[in-house]
Amino acid sequence: MSIPKILIYGFFVTAVLLIGYFVENYYYLQVLTFIGINTLLALGLNMLMGYAGQISLGHGAFYGIGAYTTAILTVNYQFSPWLSLPCAILLAVTVAFLVGLPTLKLSGYYLGMGTLGFGMIAFIIFREWTSLTGGASGFVGIPSLEAGFISFSSARNYFFLVWAVVLINLIVCGRMIQSRMGRALRAIHDSEKAAMAVGINTMHLKLQIFVFSAAVGALAGFLYAHYISFISPGTFDFLASVRMVTMVVIGGMASIWGALLGAALLTLLPEWLHAFADFEMIVYGLIMMIVMILLPRGLTRGLLDLYEKAGEGTGKGHDN
Amino acid sequence: MITDSAEPEYSPLLKTAAVSKSFGGLKALSDISFEVPKGIVQGLIGPNGAGKTTLFNVITGAYLPDSGSISFLGKEIRGKKLHQIVKMGIARTFQNVELFESMTVIENVMVGCHVRTRSGFWGAVSRIPKVLREEKMIRDRAEELLAFVGLEKESGKKSSDLPFGWQRLLEIARALASDPLLLLLDEPAAGLNAVETRQLGELLGKIRDLGITLVLVEHDMSLTMKISDNILVLDRGCILARGTPREIQSDEAVMSAYLGKSK
Repeated sequence: MSIPKILIYGFFVTAVLLIGYFVENYYYLQVLTFIGINTLLALGLNMLMGYAGQISLGHGAFYGIGAYTTAILTVNYQFSPWLSLPCAILLAVTVAFLVGLPTLKLSGYYLGMGTLGFGMIAFIIFREWTSLTGGASGFVGIPSLEAGFISFSSARNYFFLVWAVVLINLIVCGRMIQSRMGRALRAIHDSEKAAMAVGINTMHLKLQIFVFSAAVGALAGFLYAHYISFISPGTFDFLASVRMVTMVVIGGMASIWGALLGAALLTLLPEWLHAFADFEMIVYGLIMMIVMILLPRGLTRGLLDLYEKAGEGTGKGHDN
Repeated sequence: MITDSAEPEYSPLLKTAAVSKSFGGLKALSDISFEVPKGIVQGLIGPNGAGKTTLFNVITGAYLPDSGSISFLGKEIRGKKLHQIVKMGIARTFQNVELFESMTVIENVMVGCHVRTRSGFWGAVSRIPKVLREEKMIRDRAEELLAFVGLEKESGKKSSDLPFGWQRLLEIARALASDPLLLLLDEPAAGLNAVETRQLGELLGKIRDLGITLVLVEHDMSLTMKISDNILVLDRGCILARGTPREIQSDEAVMSAYLGKSK
Protein backbone atom coordinates (compact mmCIF):
# COMPACT_ATOMS: atom_id res chain seq x y z
CA MET A 1 0.00 0.00 0.00
CA SER A 2 2.57 2.56 1.03
CA ILE A 3 4.61 3.95 -1.82
CA PRO A 4 8.40 3.95 -1.32
CA LYS A 5 9.66 7.31 -0.13
CA ILE A 6 12.32 7.60 -2.79
CA LEU A 7 9.62 7.40 -5.47
CA ILE A 8 7.61 10.16 -3.86
CA TYR A 9 10.60 12.44 -3.56
CA GLY A 10 11.71 11.50 -7.05
CA PHE A 11 8.31 12.45 -8.40
CA PHE A 12 8.43 15.69 -6.44
CA VAL A 13 11.84 16.68 -7.77
CA THR A 14 10.90 15.76 -11.34
CA ALA A 15 7.72 17.79 -11.11
CA VAL A 16 9.58 20.83 -9.78
CA LEU A 17 12.25 20.57 -12.49
CA LEU A 18 9.71 20.13 -15.30
CA ILE A 19 7.58 23.01 -14.11
CA GLY A 20 10.61 25.21 -13.59
CA TYR A 21 11.96 24.60 -17.09
CA PHE A 22 8.78 24.58 -19.10
CA VAL A 23 6.60 27.20 -17.48
CA GLU A 24 7.44 30.45 -19.21
CA ASN A 25 4.64 32.59 -17.90
CA TYR A 26 5.93 34.94 -15.22
CA TYR A 27 2.61 35.03 -13.42
CA TYR A 28 2.40 31.23 -13.14
CA LEU A 29 5.92 31.04 -11.80
CA GLN A 30 5.06 33.64 -9.22
CA VAL A 31 1.97 31.77 -8.04
CA LEU A 32 3.97 28.55 -7.88
CA THR A 33 6.66 30.27 -5.84
CA PHE A 34 4.01 31.50 -3.41
CA ILE A 35 2.73 27.97 -3.10
CA GLY A 36 6.25 26.99 -2.07
CA ILE A 37 6.50 29.72 0.54
CA ASN A 38 3.06 28.85 1.90
CA THR A 39 4.02 25.18 1.97
CA LEU A 40 6.89 26.08 4.26
CA LEU A 41 4.54 27.96 6.56
CA ALA A 42 2.07 25.09 6.64
CA LEU A 43 4.82 22.53 7.09
CA GLY A 44 6.21 24.18 10.21
CA LEU A 45 2.80 24.70 11.71
CA ASN A 46 1.74 21.16 10.84
CA MET A 47 4.55 19.78 12.97
CA LEU A 48 3.14 21.73 15.89
CA MET A 49 -0.58 21.22 15.21
CA GLY A 50 -0.81 17.94 13.39
CA TYR A 51 1.91 16.05 15.20
CA ALA A 52 2.21 17.60 18.64
CA GLY A 53 -1.47 18.57 18.74
CA GLN A 54 -0.85 22.14 19.88
CA ILE A 55 -2.65 24.98 18.14
CA SER A 56 -1.10 28.33 17.38
CA LEU A 57 -3.15 31.26 16.12
CA GLY A 58 -0.16 33.57 16.12
CA HIS A 59 2.25 32.00 13.68
CA GLY A 60 1.92 34.93 11.29
CA ALA A 61 4.15 36.71 13.77
CA PHE A 62 7.12 34.45 13.04
CA TYR A 63 6.55 34.85 9.32
CA GLY A 64 6.67 38.59 9.93
CA ILE A 65 9.72 38.42 12.17
CA GLY A 66 11.60 36.59 9.43
CA ALA A 67 10.58 39.12 6.80
CA TYR A 68 11.13 42.28 8.84
CA THR A 69 14.42 41.18 10.37
CA THR A 70 16.00 40.53 7.02
CA ALA A 71 14.46 43.69 5.54
CA ILE A 72 15.81 45.90 8.31
CA LEU A 73 19.23 44.27 8.42
CA THR A 74 19.83 44.25 4.68
CA VAL A 75 18.44 47.73 3.92
CA ASN A 76 19.30 49.74 7.03
CA TYR A 77 22.49 47.97 8.00
CA GLN A 78 23.68 46.63 4.65
CA PHE A 79 23.91 43.06 5.90
CA SER A 80 24.34 40.36 3.31
CA PRO A 81 21.04 38.44 3.12
CA TRP A 82 22.93 35.24 3.88
CA LEU A 83 23.99 36.79 7.16
CA SER A 84 20.59 38.24 7.93
CA LEU A 85 18.97 34.83 7.44
CA PRO A 86 20.55 33.27 10.55
CA CYS A 87 19.80 36.49 12.44
CA ALA A 88 16.13 36.31 11.42
CA ILE A 89 15.87 32.68 12.42
CA LEU A 90 17.69 33.28 15.67
CA LEU A 91 15.34 36.11 16.58
CA ALA A 92 12.26 34.03 15.74
CA VAL A 93 13.64 31.14 17.78
CA THR A 94 14.34 33.38 20.76
CA VAL A 95 10.92 34.98 20.61
CA ALA A 96 9.27 31.56 20.24
CA PHE A 97 11.14 30.29 23.25
CA LEU A 98 10.12 33.25 25.41
CA VAL A 99 6.50 33.16 24.22
CA GLY A 100 6.24 29.38 24.31
CA LEU A 101 7.56 28.99 27.82
CA PRO A 102 4.45 30.43 29.47
CA THR A 103 1.83 29.83 26.75
CA LEU A 104 2.55 26.16 26.08
CA LYS A 105 1.53 25.41 29.65
CA LEU A 106 -1.95 26.17 28.36
CA SER A 107 -3.91 23.78 26.23
CA GLY A 108 -6.86 23.76 23.86
CA TYR A 109 -8.78 27.01 23.55
CA TYR A 110 -6.56 28.73 26.06
CA LEU A 111 -3.43 28.02 24.05
CA GLY A 112 -5.31 29.33 21.00
CA MET A 113 -6.13 32.54 22.85
CA GLY A 114 -2.60 32.93 24.20
CA THR A 115 -0.95 32.57 20.80
CA LEU A 116 -3.62 34.78 19.25
CA GLY A 117 -2.68 37.53 21.67
CA PHE A 118 0.96 37.12 20.78
CA GLY A 119 0.18 37.38 17.07
CA MET A 120 -1.79 40.58 17.66
CA ILE A 121 1.05 42.15 19.61
CA ALA A 122 3.57 41.28 16.90
CA PHE A 123 1.28 42.75 14.25
CA ILE A 124 0.90 45.98 16.21
CA ILE A 125 4.67 46.23 16.55
CA PHE A 126 5.12 45.76 12.77
CA ARG A 127 2.53 48.46 12.11
CA GLU A 128 3.31 51.03 14.78
CA TRP A 129 7.09 50.98 15.15
CA THR A 130 7.27 53.21 12.09
CA SER A 131 10.88 54.30 12.45
CA LEU A 132 12.04 50.68 12.25
CA THR A 133 9.45 48.87 10.14
CA GLY A 134 8.13 51.61 7.95
CA GLY A 135 4.75 51.27 9.64
CA ALA A 136 1.53 50.81 7.74
CA SER A 137 3.00 52.07 4.48
CA GLY A 138 5.43 49.21 4.47
CA PHE A 139 9.11 48.61 3.90
CA VAL A 140 10.55 49.01 0.42
CA GLY A 141 13.73 48.21 -1.42
CA ILE A 142 14.60 44.81 0.01
CA PRO A 143 17.42 43.48 -2.18
CA SER A 144 17.03 40.29 -4.16
CA LEU A 145 19.17 37.28 -3.39
CA GLU A 146 22.42 36.35 -5.04
CA ALA A 147 24.76 33.46 -4.53
CA GLY A 148 28.06 33.82 -6.34
CA PHE A 149 27.23 34.15 -10.02
CA ILE A 150 23.64 32.94 -9.62
CA SER A 151 21.15 35.73 -9.32
CA PHE A 152 17.80 34.91 -7.83
CA SER A 153 16.21 38.03 -9.23
CA SER A 154 14.75 35.99 -12.08
CA ALA A 155 11.38 34.42 -11.32
CA ARG A 156 12.60 31.05 -12.53
CA ASN A 157 15.65 30.94 -10.31
CA TYR A 158 13.66 32.06 -7.31
CA PHE A 159 11.13 29.36 -8.02
CA PHE A 160 13.90 26.77 -7.90
CA LEU A 161 15.37 28.26 -4.76
CA VAL A 162 12.08 28.22 -2.89
CA TRP A 163 11.22 24.69 -3.94
CA ALA A 164 14.68 23.44 -3.05
CA VAL A 165 14.14 24.85 0.43
CA VAL A 166 10.72 23.19 0.51
CA LEU A 167 12.30 19.88 -0.45
CA ILE A 168 14.90 20.16 2.30
CA ASN A 169 12.18 20.96 4.81
CA LEU A 170 10.03 18.07 3.64
CA ILE A 171 12.96 15.74 4.22
CA VAL A 172 13.77 17.28 7.60
CA CYS A 173 10.17 16.98 8.76
CA GLY A 174 9.84 13.49 7.34
CA ARG A 175 12.94 12.38 9.20
CA MET A 176 11.80 14.02 12.37
CA ILE A 177 8.48 12.18 12.33
CA GLN A 178 10.21 8.83 11.86
CA SER A 179 12.43 9.30 14.87
CA ARG A 180 12.40 9.02 18.61
CA MET A 181 11.42 12.68 18.78
CA GLY A 182 8.63 12.30 16.23
CA ARG A 183 7.16 9.33 18.03
CA ALA A 184 7.19 11.27 21.26
CA LEU A 185 5.41 14.16 19.54
CA ARG A 186 2.72 11.91 18.16
CA ALA A 187 2.42 10.35 21.59
CA ILE A 188 1.65 13.77 23.09
CA HIS A 189 -0.96 14.28 20.42
CA ASP A 190 -2.68 10.96 21.18
CA SER A 191 -2.57 11.07 24.97
CA GLU A 192 -0.60 13.58 26.93
CA LYS A 193 -1.34 11.63 30.10
CA ALA A 194 0.21 8.45 28.74
CA ALA A 195 3.07 10.37 27.16
CA MET A 196 4.00 11.73 30.56
CA ALA A 197 3.60 8.29 32.11
CA VAL A 198 6.19 6.79 29.75
CA GLY A 199 8.58 9.53 30.77
CA ILE A 200 8.32 12.06 27.96
CA ASN A 201 9.10 15.57 29.12
CA THR A 202 6.07 16.94 27.33
CA MET A 203 6.65 20.60 28.14
CA HIS A 204 10.20 20.48 26.84
CA LEU A 205 9.18 18.73 23.66
CA LYS A 206 6.27 21.05 22.96
CA LEU A 207 8.58 24.00 23.37
CA GLN A 208 11.12 22.44 21.02
CA ILE A 209 8.58 21.91 18.27
CA PHE A 210 7.11 25.37 18.78
CA VAL A 211 10.56 26.83 18.31
CA PHE A 212 11.15 24.66 15.26
CA SER A 213 7.93 25.76 13.61
CA ALA A 214 8.81 29.38 14.38
CA ALA A 215 12.17 28.92 12.66
CA VAL A 216 10.51 27.49 9.55
CA GLY A 217 8.02 30.39 9.61
CA ALA A 218 10.88 32.90 9.76
CA LEU A 219 12.61 31.14 6.88
CA ALA A 220 9.43 31.51 4.83
CA GLY A 221 9.27 35.18 5.81
CA PHE A 222 12.86 35.65 4.66
CA LEU A 223 12.12 34.08 1.27
CA TYR A 224 8.99 36.16 0.92
CA ALA A 225 10.70 39.46 1.70
CA HIS A 226 13.56 38.96 -0.76
CA TYR A 227 11.15 37.82 -3.45
CA ILE A 228 8.63 40.63 -3.25
CA SER A 229 11.18 43.25 -2.12
CA PHE A 230 8.34 45.10 -0.41
CA ILE A 231 6.60 44.09 2.81
CA SER A 232 3.79 45.60 4.81
CA PRO A 233 2.24 44.59 8.12
CA GLY A 234 -1.01 43.37 6.51
CA THR A 235 0.78 40.28 5.21
CA PHE A 236 1.50 39.13 8.76
CA ASP A 237 -1.75 39.96 10.48
CA PHE A 238 -4.23 37.75 12.29
CA LEU A 239 -5.73 36.60 9.01
CA ALA A 240 -2.33 35.36 7.90
CA SER A 241 -2.15 33.19 11.02
CA VAL A 242 -5.64 31.89 10.38
CA ARG A 243 -4.76 31.15 6.78
CA MET A 244 -1.80 29.09 7.98
CA VAL A 245 -4.04 27.11 10.31
CA THR A 246 -6.53 26.62 7.48
CA MET A 247 -3.82 25.29 5.17
CA VAL A 248 -2.86 22.72 7.77
CA VAL A 249 -6.43 21.65 8.46
CA ILE A 250 -7.54 21.59 4.83
CA GLY A 251 -4.43 19.79 3.67
CA GLY A 252 -4.62 17.27 6.44
CA MET A 253 -3.22 17.34 9.93
CA ALA A 254 -0.24 15.17 10.64
CA SER A 255 0.79 14.80 7.03
CA ILE A 256 3.78 16.55 5.50
CA TRP A 257 2.27 16.28 2.02
CA GLY A 258 -0.93 17.72 3.44
CA ALA A 259 0.96 20.94 4.03
CA LEU A 260 1.75 21.06 0.32
CA LEU A 261 -1.83 20.34 -0.74
CA GLY A 262 -3.31 22.81 1.74
CA ALA A 263 -0.88 25.52 0.71
CA ALA A 264 -1.54 24.87 -2.97
CA LEU A 265 -5.29 25.06 -2.56
CA LEU A 266 -5.24 28.18 -0.43
CA THR A 267 -2.83 29.93 -2.78
CA LEU A 268 -4.61 28.94 -5.98
CA LEU A 269 -8.21 29.47 -4.92
CA PRO A 270 -8.03 33.26 -4.61
CA GLU A 271 -6.29 33.39 -8.00
CA TRP A 272 -8.97 31.30 -9.68
CA LEU A 273 -11.76 33.07 -7.92
CA HIS A 274 -10.88 36.50 -9.28
CA ALA A 275 -13.43 35.69 -11.96
CA PHE A 276 -16.17 35.87 -9.35
CA ALA A 277 -15.18 39.46 -8.56
CA ASP A 278 -17.43 40.66 -5.78
CA PHE A 279 -18.50 37.18 -4.83
CA GLU A 280 -14.94 35.93 -4.46
CA MET A 281 -14.94 35.62 -0.68
CA ILE A 282 -18.33 33.93 -0.65
CA VAL A 283 -17.25 31.27 -3.12
CA TYR A 284 -13.96 30.87 -1.25
CA GLY A 285 -15.80 30.31 2.02
CA LEU A 286 -18.20 27.88 0.41
CA ILE A 287 -15.40 25.79 -1.04
CA MET A 288 -13.70 25.64 2.35
CA MET A 289 -16.95 24.52 3.95
CA ILE A 290 -17.57 21.86 1.33
CA VAL A 291 -14.05 20.46 1.67
CA MET A 292 -14.38 20.26 5.43
CA ILE A 293 -17.82 18.65 5.28
CA LEU A 294 -16.84 16.05 2.67
CA LEU A 295 -13.26 15.45 3.81
CA PRO A 296 -13.22 16.30 7.50
CA ARG A 297 -9.76 14.82 7.93
CA GLY A 298 -8.28 17.00 5.24
CA LEU A 299 -7.37 16.54 1.59
CA THR A 300 -4.55 14.02 1.99
CA ARG A 301 -6.40 11.62 4.25
CA GLY A 302 -9.66 12.20 2.39
CA LEU A 303 -8.15 11.40 -0.99
CA LEU A 304 -6.42 8.33 0.42
CA ASP A 305 -9.73 7.15 1.88
CA LEU A 306 -11.43 7.62 -1.47
CA TYR A 307 -8.62 5.70 -3.15
CA GLU A 308 -8.91 2.85 -0.67
CA LYS A 309 -12.68 2.77 -1.04
CA ALA A 310 -12.30 2.57 -4.79
CA GLY A 311 -9.88 -0.31 -4.29
CA GLU A 312 -12.41 -2.18 -2.18
CA GLY A 313 -15.12 -1.40 -4.71
CA THR A 314 -13.31 -3.38 -7.39
CA GLY A 315 -13.45 -6.38 -5.14
CA LYS A 316 -9.72 -6.57 -4.59
CA GLY A 317 -9.71 -5.04 -1.17
CA HIS A 318 -6.72 -5.13 1.12
CA ASP A 319 -5.42 -7.76 3.40
CA ASN A 320 -4.33 -5.87 6.46
CA MET B 1 21.13 0.74 34.73
CA ILE B 2 20.38 2.07 38.14
CA THR B 3 22.78 0.96 40.79
CA ASP B 4 23.27 2.26 44.25
CA SER B 5 25.88 0.27 46.07
CA ALA B 6 25.68 2.51 49.12
CA GLU B 7 22.19 1.23 49.91
CA PRO B 8 22.00 -1.42 52.58
CA GLU B 9 20.46 -4.59 51.28
CA TYR B 10 17.41 -4.61 53.48
CA SER B 11 16.15 -1.22 52.38
CA PRO B 12 12.78 -1.42 50.65
CA LEU B 13 12.48 -0.53 46.97
CA LEU B 14 9.57 1.78 47.61
CA LYS B 15 8.54 3.33 50.86
CA THR B 16 5.82 5.82 51.64
CA ALA B 17 5.68 7.55 54.99
CA ALA B 18 2.51 9.23 56.22
CA VAL B 19 1.38 10.24 52.72
CA SER B 20 -1.83 12.26 52.64
CA LYS B 21 -3.72 13.75 49.74
CA SER B 22 -7.02 15.64 49.74
CA PHE B 23 -9.19 16.89 46.93
CA GLY B 24 -11.14 19.79 48.33
CA GLY B 25 -12.87 18.39 51.38
CA LEU B 26 -12.36 14.78 50.37
CA LYS B 27 -9.50 13.00 52.03
CA ALA B 28 -8.39 10.58 49.33
CA LEU B 29 -5.38 9.32 51.26
CA SER B 30 -4.62 9.79 54.91
CA ASP B 31 -1.34 8.82 56.53
CA ILE B 32 -0.45 6.00 54.22
CA SER B 33 2.78 4.34 55.25
CA PHE B 34 3.89 1.15 53.60
CA GLU B 35 6.93 -0.49 52.14
CA VAL B 36 7.44 -2.63 49.10
CA PRO B 37 10.51 -4.86 49.28
CA LYS B 38 12.34 -5.61 46.08
CA GLY B 39 11.19 -8.53 44.00
CA ILE B 40 7.72 -9.12 45.41
CA VAL B 41 4.23 -8.73 44.08
CA GLN B 42 2.39 -6.28 46.26
CA GLY B 43 -1.38 -6.49 45.96
CA LEU B 44 -3.41 -3.38 46.63
CA ILE B 45 -7.10 -3.88 47.15
CA GLY B 46 -10.05 -1.98 48.47
CA PRO B 47 -13.54 -0.92 47.48
CA ASN B 48 -14.11 1.71 44.79
CA GLY B 49 -13.02 5.10 46.01
CA ALA B 50 -10.61 3.62 48.54
CA GLY B 51 -7.76 5.68 47.09
CA LYS B 52 -5.85 3.02 45.17
CA THR B 53 -5.52 4.95 41.95
CA THR B 54 -4.76 8.13 43.88
CA LEU B 55 -1.93 6.29 45.59
CA PHE B 56 -0.59 5.30 42.16
CA ASN B 57 -0.82 8.87 40.98
CA VAL B 58 1.02 10.09 44.01
CA ILE B 59 3.81 7.51 43.66
CA THR B 60 4.33 8.22 39.97
CA GLY B 61 4.39 11.96 40.50
CA ALA B 62 1.14 12.74 38.70
CA TYR B 63 -0.19 14.21 41.97
CA LEU B 64 1.85 15.96 44.60
CA PRO B 65 0.89 14.66 48.05
CA ASP B 66 -0.15 17.25 50.64
CA SER B 67 2.22 15.75 53.16
CA GLY B 68 4.39 12.75 53.81
CA SER B 69 7.33 11.39 51.90
CA ILE B 70 7.84 8.81 49.18
CA SER B 71 11.20 7.24 48.67
CA PHE B 72 12.38 4.98 45.92
CA LEU B 73 15.73 3.22 46.16
CA GLY B 74 16.27 5.24 49.31
CA LYS B 75 15.87 8.57 47.50
CA GLU B 76 13.07 11.04 48.07
CA ILE B 77 10.95 11.29 44.93
CA ARG B 78 8.15 13.47 46.22
CA GLY B 79 7.96 16.58 44.07
CA LYS B 80 10.01 15.11 41.25
CA LYS B 81 8.67 15.40 37.72
CA LEU B 82 6.97 12.42 36.13
CA HIS B 83 9.67 11.90 33.55
CA GLN B 84 12.34 11.93 36.22
CA ILE B 85 10.49 9.30 38.19
CA VAL B 86 10.07 7.09 35.13
CA LYS B 87 13.77 7.43 34.50
CA MET B 88 14.52 6.30 38.04
CA GLY B 89 12.65 3.11 37.29
CA ILE B 90 8.94 3.38 38.05
CA ALA B 91 6.49 2.55 35.27
CA ARG B 92 2.72 2.25 35.30
CA THR B 93 -0.34 1.20 33.37
CA PHE B 94 -3.77 2.79 33.51
CA GLN B 95 -7.13 1.53 34.63
CA ASN B 96 -8.72 2.56 31.32
CA VAL B 97 -5.83 1.62 29.00
CA GLU B 98 -4.14 4.74 27.65
CA LEU B 99 -2.52 3.80 24.37
CA PHE B 100 -1.27 6.04 21.60
CA GLU B 101 -4.14 5.13 19.35
CA SER B 102 -3.03 6.58 16.05
CA MET B 103 0.29 4.77 16.31
CA THR B 104 1.10 1.19 15.48
CA VAL B 105 1.53 -1.52 18.08
CA ILE B 106 5.30 -1.52 17.80
CA GLU B 107 5.51 2.27 17.83
CA ASN B 108 3.66 2.29 21.13
CA VAL B 109 6.35 0.10 22.64
CA MET B 110 9.09 2.12 20.94
CA VAL B 111 7.78 5.27 22.63
CA GLY B 112 8.09 3.33 25.87
CA CYS B 113 11.87 3.23 25.35
CA HIS B 114 11.96 7.03 25.47
CA VAL B 115 13.67 7.47 28.83
CA ARG B 116 16.39 4.94 28.04
CA THR B 117 17.36 6.61 24.77
CA ARG B 118 18.76 9.99 23.85
CA SER B 119 18.62 11.19 20.28
CA GLY B 120 16.72 14.39 19.63
CA PHE B 121 16.08 16.83 16.84
CA TRP B 122 19.59 16.98 15.36
CA GLY B 123 19.91 13.25 15.56
CA ALA B 124 16.61 12.80 13.77
CA VAL B 125 17.60 15.15 10.97
CA SER B 126 21.21 14.06 10.54
CA ARG B 127 20.63 10.31 10.96
CA ILE B 128 24.25 9.77 11.90
CA PRO B 129 25.25 6.15 12.56
CA LYS B 130 24.91 6.53 16.32
CA VAL B 131 21.28 7.56 15.90
CA LEU B 132 20.56 4.75 13.45
CA ARG B 133 22.09 2.26 15.86
CA GLU B 134 19.93 3.60 18.65
CA GLU B 135 16.87 3.44 16.42
CA LYS B 136 17.62 -0.19 15.62
CA MET B 137 18.16 -0.93 19.29
CA ILE B 138 14.78 0.62 20.09
CA ARG B 139 13.08 -1.45 17.41
CA ASP B 140 14.77 -4.67 18.51
CA ARG B 141 13.87 -4.04 22.11
CA ALA B 142 10.26 -3.30 21.17
CA GLU B 143 10.04 -6.50 19.12
CA GLU B 144 11.49 -8.46 21.98
CA LEU B 145 8.93 -7.03 24.38
CA LEU B 146 6.05 -7.68 21.98
CA ALA B 147 7.17 -11.28 21.79
CA PHE B 148 7.38 -11.35 25.57
CA VAL B 149 3.71 -10.40 25.93
CA GLY B 150 2.73 -12.48 22.88
CA LEU B 151 1.85 -9.69 20.45
CA GLU B 152 4.73 -10.11 18.00
CA LYS B 153 2.34 -10.85 15.13
CA GLU B 154 0.42 -7.62 15.65
CA SER B 155 3.35 -5.24 15.48
CA GLY B 156 2.27 -3.34 12.36
CA LYS B 157 -1.38 -2.92 13.31
CA LYS B 158 -2.84 0.28 14.60
CA SER B 159 -3.01 -0.06 18.36
CA SER B 160 -6.66 0.95 18.53
CA ASP B 161 -7.52 -1.97 16.22
CA LEU B 162 -6.41 -4.54 18.78
CA PRO B 163 -9.04 -6.32 20.88
CA PHE B 164 -9.27 -4.90 24.35
CA GLY B 165 -7.43 -7.71 26.10
CA TRP B 166 -4.46 -7.27 23.79
CA GLN B 167 -4.47 -3.54 24.33
CA ARG B 168 -3.85 -4.28 27.99
CA LEU B 169 -0.91 -6.51 27.10
CA LEU B 170 0.43 -3.82 24.80
CA GLU B 171 0.23 -1.27 27.57
CA ILE B 172 2.24 -3.61 29.80
CA ALA B 173 4.84 -4.08 27.05
CA ARG B 174 5.09 -0.32 26.67
CA ALA B 175 5.60 0.09 30.41
CA LEU B 176 8.30 -2.60 30.39
CA ALA B 177 10.12 -0.75 27.62
CA SER B 178 11.26 1.86 30.14
CA ASP B 179 13.19 -0.90 31.96
CA PRO B 180 11.40 -0.34 35.23
CA LEU B 181 12.42 -1.71 38.60
CA LEU B 182 8.91 -1.17 39.85
CA LEU B 183 5.80 -1.62 37.77
CA LEU B 184 2.46 -0.30 38.95
CA LEU B 185 -0.52 -2.02 37.35
CA ASP B 186 -3.92 -0.40 37.76
CA GLU B 187 -6.57 -3.12 37.41
CA PRO B 188 -4.88 -5.01 34.60
CA ALA B 189 -7.59 -7.69 34.56
CA ALA B 190 -10.55 -5.31 34.30
CA GLY B 191 -12.55 -6.13 31.19
CA LEU B 192 -10.71 -9.37 30.52
CA ASN B 193 -12.44 -12.74 30.20
CA ALA B 194 -11.46 -15.78 32.25
CA VAL B 195 -8.93 -17.10 29.74
CA GLU B 196 -7.31 -13.71 29.29
CA THR B 197 -7.15 -13.22 33.03
CA ARG B 198 -5.37 -16.54 33.46
CA GLN B 199 -2.87 -15.59 30.73
CA LEU B 200 -2.37 -12.24 32.40
CA GLY B 201 -1.57 -14.03 35.65
CA GLU B 202 1.09 -16.06 33.87
CA LEU B 203 2.54 -12.93 32.28
CA LEU B 204 2.74 -11.17 35.63
CA GLY B 205 4.58 -14.18 37.00
CA LYS B 206 7.06 -13.94 34.12
CA ILE B 207 7.56 -10.24 34.81
CA ARG B 208 8.25 -10.94 38.47
CA ASP B 209 10.76 -13.59 37.42
CA LEU B 210 12.65 -10.86 35.56
CA GLY B 211 13.23 -9.28 38.95
CA ILE B 212 10.71 -6.49 38.45
CA THR B 213 8.74 -5.59 41.53
CA LEU B 214 5.00 -5.31 40.95
CA VAL B 215 2.32 -3.32 42.68
CA LEU B 216 -1.05 -4.54 41.56
CA VAL B 217 -4.42 -2.90 42.04
CA GLU B 218 -7.00 -5.50 41.18
CA HIS B 219 -10.61 -6.37 41.77
CA ASP B 220 -10.25 -9.92 40.56
CA MET B 221 -9.72 -11.58 43.93
CA SER B 222 -8.64 -14.99 42.77
CA LEU B 223 -5.90 -13.43 40.62
CA THR B 224 -4.78 -11.08 43.36
CA MET B 225 -4.71 -13.73 46.05
CA LYS B 226 -2.88 -16.16 43.82
CA ILE B 227 -0.13 -13.89 42.60
CA SER B 228 0.49 -11.46 45.47
CA ASP B 229 3.11 -12.02 48.13
CA ASN B 230 1.73 -9.23 50.23
CA ILE B 231 -1.54 -7.40 50.25
CA LEU B 232 -2.42 -3.96 51.44
CA VAL B 233 -6.10 -3.17 51.95
CA LEU B 234 -7.24 0.42 51.62
CA ASP B 235 -10.61 1.73 52.63
CA ARG B 236 -11.67 5.36 52.37
CA GLY B 237 -8.10 6.55 52.13
CA CYS B 238 -6.82 4.62 55.14
CA ILE B 239 -4.93 1.37 55.50
CA LEU B 240 -7.41 -1.19 56.74
CA ALA B 241 -5.17 -4.23 56.84
CA ARG B 242 -1.94 -5.66 55.53
CA GLY B 243 -0.48 -9.11 55.34
CA THR B 244 -0.17 -12.22 53.26
CA PRO B 245 -3.12 -13.24 51.12
CA ARG B 246 -4.03 -15.89 53.66
CA GLU B 247 -4.05 -13.39 56.51
CA ILE B 248 -6.13 -10.93 54.51
CA GLN B 249 -8.68 -13.56 53.60
CA SER B 250 -9.31 -14.30 57.25
CA ASP B 251 -9.18 -10.71 58.46
CA GLU B 252 -12.45 -9.68 60.13
CA ALA B 253 -12.22 -6.00 59.26
CA VAL B 254 -11.53 -6.75 55.61
CA MET B 255 -14.39 -9.23 55.51
CA SER B 256 -16.90 -6.69 56.70
CA ALA B 257 -15.60 -3.64 54.88
CA TYR B 258 -14.68 -5.08 51.59
CA LEU B 259 -15.46 -8.66 50.84
CA GLY B 260 -18.87 -8.44 52.49
CA LYS B 261 -19.95 -10.70 55.30
CA SER B 262 -20.17 -14.20 53.95
CA LYS B 263 -21.71 -15.72 57.04
